[in-house]
Amino acid sequence: MGNILEECQVYVVTSGKGGVGKTTTVANLSTGLAKLGYKVVVMDLDIGLKKLDLIMGLENRVIYDIVQVAEGECTLKQALVKDKRFPDLFMLPAAQTRNKEDISIEQVKTICDELREEFDYIFIDSPAGIEQGFKNSIAAADKAIVVTNPEVSAVRDADRIIGMLESAGFKDIKLLINRLRPDMVKKGDMLSIDDLIEHLCIDPLGVVPEDKSVVISTNRGEPIVLTNTPAANAFSNIVQRLTGEDVETMVVPEDSFWTKVKRNLFGAN
Amino acid sequence: MMELLKRLFLGDQNSSRKQANDRLRVVLTHDRLTVNADVMETIKEEILQVIAKHIDIEGSPEVNLITEGRHAALDISIPLKGR
Repeated sequence: MGNILEECQVYVVTSGKGGVGKTTTVANLSTGLAKLGYKVVVMDLDIGLKKLDLIMGLENRVIYDIVQVAEGECTLKQALVKDKRFPDLFMLPAAQTRNKEDISIEQVKTICDELREEFDYIFIDSPAGIEQGFKNSIAAADKAIVVTNPEVSAVRDADRIIGMLESAGFKDIKLLINRLRPDMVKKGDMLSIDDLIEHLCIDPLGVVPEDKSVVISTNRGEPIVLTNTPAANAFSNIVQRLTGEDVETMVVPEDSFWTKVKRNLFGAN
Repeated sequence: MMELLKRLFLGDQNSSRKQANDRLRVVLTHDRLTVNADVMETIKEEILQVIAKHIDIEGSPEVNLITEGRHAALDISIPLKGR
């Protein structure tokens, strides 16, 4: 099948702080785009601490890794792992027993350039931190998605990352707010979407609400975007926006009356 | 009920969200400038000293750090004594 886009788009997904949902974001945006028929590849650059294979449920299919590609031990094609569900979705695994220094910026760029020929979208899953691994991740990307949580430490790290992306010449930096709890915002106990945009001064790409189903999907190794849950709908909404559709930012739904009753009666969410 | 009344009358002055915003505002400004609050204080004092060395200052001078987007500026307002 041919490519849909004339020119491949390369996104780095980064955050500074760990545990805010970078890998979950990469898995879901890539799966969502593949579902729409785009050719998509994800690159795991969290060398030494790989997670993307696990989140996507592809851990048993991994044979080679990106460091082996860089060192010429195998070809890029051999290392690409095909997704279970979508034939046009691929993953380039990180190496688990190596270090961030085992691959250079030039090697990442070379691999990425080769992938550009074949794919519509490339997502680079960046490691937490601002060291070599982060620098490798941004080197080959054209656009950046900064993932943050409505929490002071995540926002501070996101701000640092945005500064570094701007210094590196990035013009397209978008904010993805993950794990928002509208009920807490309403009570004055959580930073709001507007608060985050005001602090970080970049355009939002979307908002994903806190959703227990994410844990369940992760346990199963199935991207949540394929389910019908609040987080899934939020990721689908962001996917549409990535393809250039002018969709409204999804307003995170307030709990309905019945959800509230259920929660109060049964303690379920 | 008391909570609700408190919020109605006092607003969210002391909500944890407001505290988070206030703390972030300070910390992000200093992070971006790579200086801390003490340095800013010193800068203000020294600016006033330099001006006062040459011209008489009247009233209460103000040196404030203002931020617009990701950029910051020093807003200096120093009333001078005329003849």
